[in-house]
Order: sequence, then C-alpha cells, then structure tokens
Amino acid sequence: MQEERLRSAIGAIHVRFGSHALAQANRLPPSRPWPTGQPAVDRLSGIGGLPRGRVSVLQGAPGSGKLSLALAMLAQATLEHARTVVIDGHGGFDPWIPDRLGADLGALTVVRPPTPTAAGEAAVALARAGAGFELVLEALPEAALSPLESAASRSGCLVVVVAGAQAWAGGANMEPRALAHASSLTLQLERLEWRRRRDLVMGVLTLVRCVKNKLAAPGAEAKLEVRYPLGPRQPADEAPRELRPAVAEISQPEVELCTDESAAG
Amino acid sequence: MHGRVCCGLVPHLELARRPELIGRPAVVRRDDGRVLAASPEAAASGIRPGHTLRQAEALSPTAAIVGTDPVATSRLAERIAAQLYDLAPVVEVRLDGCAWLDLTGVPHPGRAIGEARRRLREAAGVEPRLGLAPGPFAAARAAARARPGRLIRVEDVRAFLDRLPVAELGRGAWPGLLDAELLERLDLLGLRTLGAVGALGPRQLESQLGRAGRTAALLARGEEPLSLTPWRPLTVTGARCQLEPPVEDREALLFVARRLCGDLAGELGLRGAGARRLAVRLGVEGGSPEERESVVRHPLSSAAELFGLASSWLREWRPAAPVTEVTIEAPELEPAGRRQLRLWVGGDGSAEEVEAALERLQERHGGETILAVRPALVTSPLPRQRYALCARGGR
Repeated sequence: MQEERLRSAIGAIHVRFGSHALAQANRLPPSRPWPTGQPAVDRLSGIGGLPRGRVSVLQGAPGSGKLSLALAMLAQATLEHARTVVIDGHGGFDPWIPDRLGADLGALTVVRPPTPTAAGEAAVALARAGAGFELVLEALPEAALSPLESAASRSGCLVVVVAGAQAWAGGANMEPRALAHASSLTLQLERLEWRRRRDLVMGVLTLVRCVKNKLAAPGAEAKLEVRYPLGPRQPADEAPRELRPAVAEISQPEVELCTDESAAG
Repeated sequence: MHGRVCCGLVPHLELARRPELIGRPAVVRRDDGRVLAASPEAAASGIRPGHTLRQAEALSPTAAIVGTDPVATSRLAERIAAQLYDLAPVVEVRLDGCAWLDLTGVPHPGRAIGEARRRLREAAGVEPRLGLAPGPFAAARAAARARPGRLIRVEDVRAFLDRLPVAELGRGAWPGLLDAELLERLDLLGLRTLGAVGALGPRQLESQLGRAGRTAALLARGEEPLSLTPWRPLTVTGARCQLEPPVEDREALLFVARRLCGDLAGELGLRGAGARRLAVRLGVEGGSPEERESVVRHPLSSAAELFGLASSWLREWRPAAPVTEVTIEAPELEPAGRRQLRLWVGGDGSAEEVEAALERLQERHGGETILAVRPALVTSPLPRQRYALCARGGR
C-alpha cells in the first residue's frame, strides 16, 4: 500500500515536472569532467577535471594564487569554448594575464554588472543560455546561487567562482554557507611561500586542498607553483597561440624556480 | 583538396522500411516488372537489380516479392537524414540505402562515425557497412566492401580504386554514370579496371564515351567530380493538442502549452533549427480560432525559450469561450540558429542563445555592462592602457 502511494507520488512528480526531476541514483547521467589543462587540479577533482554543469569554487586568502589559477583555466577555456564569460562586478579584471597565457580574447566577454543583484542575474542568465565557461569574480547574492546551480546543470555550463576576500575574512569555514552549499567542488589554496628571483616576486608556491567534492572523495591535496607572467607583451608574442604553462605541480618544495621564458622579457 | 566523407550502406530503403523482411530473401519489384532491389539473402542467390521477376523467381523461388511505396520510402530517407544531420555539415541519404556524411571540419570524426553507425542501425534494423574516404564515390565503394558494422578507411584512394572492376562505374553504383552499353564499350576497349580507365585520362575517354566518360575517368582517378546533394530540414513545424472537455482554466492551458513546447523543441532539435516566428492558436468552442503570432529576433529552439514566449501570451489571453484546441507552430524556421548543435564542442552551439542573453543584459543594465576585450597599447606598463574594454558591438 505504502509502495503504491510512493509510486503514485513519483508518477505525479514526473508528470508535473518531467522525468529529469526525479531519477534513481543509478540512472543519473555520469559526471562530465572538463580537463582544465592543469593535471594536478584535474587529479584533485577525482574525475579528471572540473565538473561540467556544476559550480566549482576556488577559495583562499589574498595572494594564495586562486585568481591566477582561475585565469589559467579561463585561458584554456577560451581556446575550447565559443563563449567564455567573466562576471566582474568590481572592475578589477585585467585581460593581460589570460592574454599572456595564450587565451583567445575574441571568445571572452566581460560582464560588469552595476549591482550584486545584477551580477547574480547575469550569472544565471548566461549559465542558462549555455555559456561554455563562466568565471565569477564577484560575491553573488545568496538568492542567485540556487538558480545558478540549476541553470548550469541544465546547460552544462562550467561555473568557477573565485571566493574573494570578503569570504575569506571570516577565518575558518570562510565561505558563505550558501556558496558552500551550491559548490560541487571546492579547492582551497594556501600560500606556502613566495617565489622570488632577486627581488622580484615571480610566483607563489601554494598548497591546494580539495575541501569539498560531491563527485569523488575530497581531501586530496597538491603543491603547485603558480608563476606570474611578467613584463609587457612583446611583438614576438604574436606568434601562433598556444597555452603557456602558468602552473606547475611541485612534488618537493625545495625544487628550483621554474623559469618562464616568456616572462624573461 | 578533399575532406573526409563517410558512407554508410544499409539495404535499399524499400527493404529497410519492412523489418519483417530482415534475414529473408526478398526483392522489390519496379513498376516495369523488373527487380529494383534485392535483400542480401536474395543477392546471395544471384539476383541483381534489373533482372526480370521471372529470372528472380528462377534464382530464388522462396524470395518474397514486394512492391514499392515511394512516399513511405522517402519519409524514411527524410527521417534518417534528419537523424544524421547533427553529425556532419553535409548529409545525403539516397533511397538505395547509401547515406553520406561529409566530415570535413567535424571536431571528432570518429565519434560522429560511431554515432552514425548506431543511428543507421536503429533506422534500418541491420548493421550498416561503413567506408571512409576523401570523396563520396570512393567512400561508397569502400563501404560496399566492408563487413556489416565495420569500417574500411581509404587512405590512398588511387591505390584502392585501381584494382576495382569497371562495373563499379555503372549506374548501379552511382546514378547518371555509365550504362550497360558504355560499360561494354569499355570492355571492348580492353579497359577492365578503374586503374586502366584512370590511366587513359578524362579527355580521351570523353572523346569516346561523351561527358559520362569524362566523369568516369575522373572518378577512376579518385578526383571525385561528383558532389553530395546536402539534405536540408523542412521550414515549418508545429505541435497541437485537442482538449476534451474544453478547458477554461489558465493553469491547465499553461500545462498543455509547456508540453507542446517540449514536443516542438524536440522537433526543432531533430531538424537542427530554431523558430524565427512563433504562433499560438487557440480553438474555442463555437467560435473561430484566436491566434497570436510574433517574429523573434533570435531563433527560439529550447522548450524554455518557446514556453517563455507562449506563456507570456497565455497569461494575458482572455479566450472568448472554453478552449478546445491548442496549437503552437513555428511557421518560419531559421537554419542558422542553433543548427547542428552536436557538431560543435564546448557548448558552442548555444552561442546564439548566449548572444541573446548578453543583449538582454545590455538592454537592461546599460551599454557599459557587457564588454568585449580588444588589445590597445599591449606593451604599455600600465595595465589600463594595455587593453580596451569596449561595449559589445562597438569598435
């Protein structure tokens, strides 16, 4: 009798909201990873890349390398997707780093919404429309996160949120609860040391830890050396575009500084 | 310079549309009383297209003889073409069971071929034979030599064709090619392989056999003078639902409209098209139908987009009487919008939708909200001078 009622309720949900609204766990579609071009990050995710159709979060204190890592992913995404979007409410996004990393700027659109509410609206609308990759550099309002999750899930859009300083300021468990809930994969970055050459900061050695993962076991960690591209773009950079390494995995912290030839100018 | 063309061979569509004949000797009878097509089992008995029915009966007395139904067969060809259309930019399906996909520019040709094989198998009920070559003629010849479910890939087309007999240039292989008389003349000239025909050259063969001779010589050389005739989807489609008893409740109408939009979106997806115009028609009890129609700026193709527009009308609509029928039509389809989605990787197929979303955001929040990046003084040490963030659409 109880089973009959349960079946009837399931049938009603299917009729009203469609078969996708309720499905057995073994019939759910497998997660589709997007290789970020950073093997260490792909390995941390447990599925071989960032999950498509999900929200991924990079969080960490200022200077931990989360934005550089996100921009390296953005550069890779511009080469693979027709439309990549940066939601940049504060106006701090500089296309220089992605360009130095070999990004195709023609595939990049920068959205600078006037208010956080508008940022949330833009993030949801573009994820729903099927933007290939969406990088959010803005603290989105809590109300936008659930629609963003749902819109990304339907379109397969990759959403990467860089949890900013406000989120970090809270100390332990720094990210707002709503963002933590919406995230399928959260990578926390912790700066171990600056990488310097003479007096110049060349990059940062950072520890990346997977603190949340809905698709595989969390807890994996890796040491990455995030290298900052230095110097203005040179005419020689007009050579055919290919992605330049911005992040290298470090197995031993005492490794010598990786020199980036493109940065030498 | 040729790209890569894949050919999938299934039995003649007159046979393919009759699943009960699979595995049995069967022939399709032409109006003039000759054999149009023979199943593989009948062909194994020696029956060939062009034989008289008497000959066919003599060769295989148990073979089933069926007539033609051009309308049903064309419909099957349309359906197969529509199913293959999102795998390659150019698709042609012929009634004799040849389906071509021009894979030039397709990012993952291997996946497209695998998917084409699956869809052909579902449509025809048998495993297709597959050939991959620089052009359609060589691909079809390769497919004819492949085992069911297998692919023959031709890298050196000249070497592949050289060994084939001249009968491959007959009309059975490709419409408009050499007829039996011309093939016999080639035989009399001592030209028995495509290699020999190709070596003779197009000008010499044209002087002997006319234009068909020139085409035959070029084909024999692997130069592929014949191009595919691309299939194009229909330009109108719609979905309809009759309501019994008639409905007055707006929520019920919206529920029906949502389902119809889902059906219509599925149809549009199959055709790789978007609706340029959308019309909603309500049949009302005892009165003439009421209709609303609108031209949309960007083609609508997903259920959500279609329902977004249709529901905005239905929410304000005050029908004169209870509604007996709901029709949602796309009277004008736009092939350029969201067409052939799976051809593109990384969600590129939805670029038009993203453009539309960006435009809406721009209208709502002002021109400086959506910005494109353009290099300016890229060698400048000042970050703000290196790139110009221009309003979308501006220069």
